[in-house]
Amino acid sequence: MQLFNRRSIALGAAALFLSFEAGQALADRTLLNVSYDPTREFYKEFNAAFAADWKARTGETITIDQSHGGSGKQARAVIDGLQADVVTLALAGDVDQIANKTDKLPKDWAAKLPHNAAPYTSTIVFLVRKGNPKDIKDWSDLVKDGVQVITPNPKTSGGARWNYLAAWAYAEKALDGDEAKVKEWVADLYRNVPVLDTGARGSTTTFAQRGIGDVLISWENEAFLVQKEFGADNFDIVVPSLSILAEPPVAVVEGNAKAKGNLDVAEAYLKFLYTPEGQKLAAKNFFRPVDPSAADPADLARFPKVELVAIDKDFGGWSKAQKEFFADGAIFDQIYRPTN
Amino acid sequence: MAMSDRFLPLAHTPERATSETALTRAVLIAIALLFLAAVLFLPLVTVFMEALRKGWGTLFESFSDPDTLAAVRLTLIVAAIAVPFNAIVGLAASWAIAKFEFKGKNLLLTLIDLPFSISPVISGLVFVLLFGAQGWLGPWLVAHDIQIIFAVPGIVLATVLVTFPFVARELIPLMQSQGTSEEEAALMLGASGWYTFLHVTLPNVKWALLYGVLLCNARAMGEFGAVSVVSGHIRGLTNTMPLHIEILYNEYNFVGAFAVASLLACLALLTLLAKSLLEWRFSDELAATARRH
Amino acid sequence: MSVPVRVRNLEKNFGRYPALKGVSLDVEAGELVALLGPSGSGKTTLLRAIAGLEQADGGQVLFGDIDANSLSLRERRIGFVFQQYALFKHMTVFDNIAFGLRARPRSSRPSEAAIKSRVLDLLHLVQLDGLEVRYPAQLSGGQRQRVALARALAIEPRVLLLDEPFGALDARVRKDLRKWLRELHQRTGHTTLFVTHDQDEAFELADRIAILDKGCIEQVGTAAEILEHPATPFIDSFIEGIARREAQARDWTKPHVVASR
Ligand SMILES: Nc1ncnc2c1ncn2[C@@H]1O[C@H](COP(=O)(O)OP(=O)(O)OP(=O)(O)O)[C@@H](O)[C@H]1O
Ligand SMILES: [Mg+2]
Repeated sequence: MQLFNRRSIALGAAALFLSFEAGQALADRTLLNVSYDPTREFYKEFNAAFAADWKARTGETITIDQSHGGSGKQARAVIDGLQADVVTLALAGDVDQIANKTDKLPKDWAAKLPHNAAPYTSTIVFLVRKGNPKDIKDWSDLVKDGVQVITPNPKTSGGARWNYLAAWAYAEKALDGDEAKVKEWVADLYRNVPVLDTGARGSTTTFAQRGIGDVLISWENEAFLVQKEFGADNFDIVVPSLSILAEPPVAVVEGNAKAKGNLDVAEAYLKFLYTPEGQKLAAKNFFRPVDPSAADPADLARFPKVELVAIDKDFGGWSKAQKEFFADGAIFDQIYRPTN
Repeated sequence: MAMSDRFLPLAHTPERATSETALTRAVLIAIALLFLAAVLFLPLVTVFMEALRKGWGTLFESFSDPDTLAAVRLTLIVAAIAVPFNAIVGLAASWAIAKFEFKGKNLLLTLIDLPFSISPVISGLVFVLLFGAQGWLGPWLVAHDIQIIFAVPGIVLATVLVTFPFVARELIPLMQSQGTSEEEAALMLGASGWYTFLHVTLPNVKWALLYGVLLCNARAMGEFGAVSVVSGHIRGLTNTMPLHIEILYNEYNFVGAFAVASLLACLALLTLLAKSLLEWRFSDELAATARRH
Repeated sequence: MSVPVRVRNLEKNFGRYPALKGVSLDVEAGELVALLGPSGSGKTTLLRAIAGLEQADGGQVLFGDIDANSLSLRERRIGFVFQQYALFKHMTVFDNIAFGLRARPRSSRPSEAAIKSRVLDLLHLVQLDGLEVRYPAQLSGGQRQRVALARALAIEPRVLLLDEPFGALDARVRKDLRKWLRELHQRTGHTTLFVTHDQDEAFELADRIAILDKGCIEQVGTAAEILEHPATPFIDSFIEGIARREAQARDWTKPHVVASR
């Protein structure tokens, strides 16, 4: 008896103490940025820069909390009530979802900021092991026998859909738009995928940390990050002949920001992305800035020129692509058969 | 013929419950030990080795990261609420089930087991469906400015749900096998219901209760799936230790990830140690209650 | 101190199964009555209903003039000895016997010193001096039985209800305890109702015997009355064994085995 009494008293006291401690953190205004996986390092730096700038301009100390995860999952969380002031996601389609399912975002959110509300862009490249032992130069090399390709599952990962569409665009061009042959080609590609991770980070870890596969289809910024984290002498980046232009959008979740009294700072936060300082940080963190003038030329030199298709122009926008390729029973479900 | 004659007396030796040879036994024991070493010991050692890969300095540095401290604190808070709650409710539920007859008892039994049989992810989603902005109670909660999911209350609720069965499942079979006769004897001797519970029912199950509480605690601190669904993953605010480990790992901060993992492992080992110490300290009483784990 | 127990038309159903179908029975103050009947006849149910552990569906139990329903379990002051003893496993013999005294509300609780002397007295009464530090698991069956009785006696009961007190013991120990219980009853004089399915035990111990079958009392009377005038064919066949042994005993030695009081 004694034992239980003392134990529960101790636990209760600990809970009280700890919750008091936790309560202390809520002083100044706090902004919540709900983002997707590959932006962690960028926003870590950007948030510090913005907080300093805001402090200098207004004298107010601002804290920015970050939440990262798969883009679609994050959008879902905001729909379900995650109190994001701003979202910085991978796909316009995910922001559209929030606008459609809640009244927290205006439907014309993309028109609120320059460049379709995408302050930086990225593209899809290949990451191969040092010296490129399988001699991978372009998409056509990925369907060869004995090449293991690492890419996440397009059903669950936003990044994986970009990979898929880039591959599709290449095949369409190479096979003169013969849909049956294109399907066959993409199916061949996915036959070479030994592990379909659920997210882009998972695939990166599979390839870089666990050493599985010959080539990782990856965000450009993610590929550079791997080189930085694991050493440039372990991996090479290969730029294919054709890739896709990704425009990760940003938006103020007006409903939440208004309710929290954060609308002014949330808008300023996103506008800061377009300033020379914001653009420079994007380039430093391997995102292609929409206004390269302020960026460090050395950072810009890392981005090779590549022929890019665009989701709106070449695939008729996200919702069409989603229906055609990734919905249940759509083309991806038809061509993908797990190998083991 | 001669062989079987020779072995006959052995099979009749009273101490021997089975007829396996010494070799078979040694092989079985060796397999069990090897298996334990491979699936328990090796991973544990790996965790600590990875954490120490860059030396003690880096290890301590990872612990001074405010986000890591926040994750540790949140985990402790959640466990400090969920475990006592589940201990009390689990005890009450087991008591009701084992000692009383009432309508809907089987339903209650099934419900208690439910969190074990459904995926933790579903357990988390239940709360999203209930308390999410699009959920049943969502509009009401929004109108009253109450945040449940993507905040500490949601994490506590998800943890409570997932860890609920541990205490009850330990207690129910024991209480059922003990029956109600001791309680009836106490009542006939003039004891009140509460006195009977404290002095007869509880002491009879205290080891099982403690065991259930320890298991519940271990799971409460280690739960990933359900908590992940309702957390919102806000750094420094709604990340528990397991979630924080995943984040650190995904940020290529392997030392940090394994540092937190080793802390979690240490907490688990401490739990085990506490249990063994108590068993050793109270071994007399333990033998007297005739229940050994 | 002892009170008579009067059972009036007691009924008890388990679901649709009638376990007691209007049982009436009087046990006078200080009397020792044996409740005899085949397995499943409702003996335990009757005892539990009198104790208040089972809620009756009809009829009445009176302690003296007081309706049992108006009394809490504590106020009934019944010493109940269970078939399987139901000793508290995690307590020493001493704590088991002291339980009923310690469980009293503070105002009527004796001092620890008083409790101690009472427990030691009771241990002496049941001939278990020196065993107070043992746990139930460290006792023999007969010793446990006596601890259970001492524990029941500790609360100074007005009525003793014993459910097959010797059921789990071997024949020799039963015989010894039977004699011992008889003497104990003579000394303490509690109103006692005890259940047994052993006819010899009932006929040897009890002042009167009540025979139960299928939830009905078939006959109540002294050993001699029942043996000489069995009320129904059921009793006739039920006591057949006893009657034959009685007859043999009378033939050989002539002393009156049953009513040797
Ligand atoms: N809790 C219960 N639920 C349903 N039926 C019960 C319950 N308790 C007793 N019964 C039934 O009531 C009848 C009388 O049971 P009781 O235990 O009183 O018999 P008994 O005379 O004590 O038998 P025994 O000599 O075997 O102990 C039996 O048929 C038994 O199956
Ligand atoms: Mg019985």
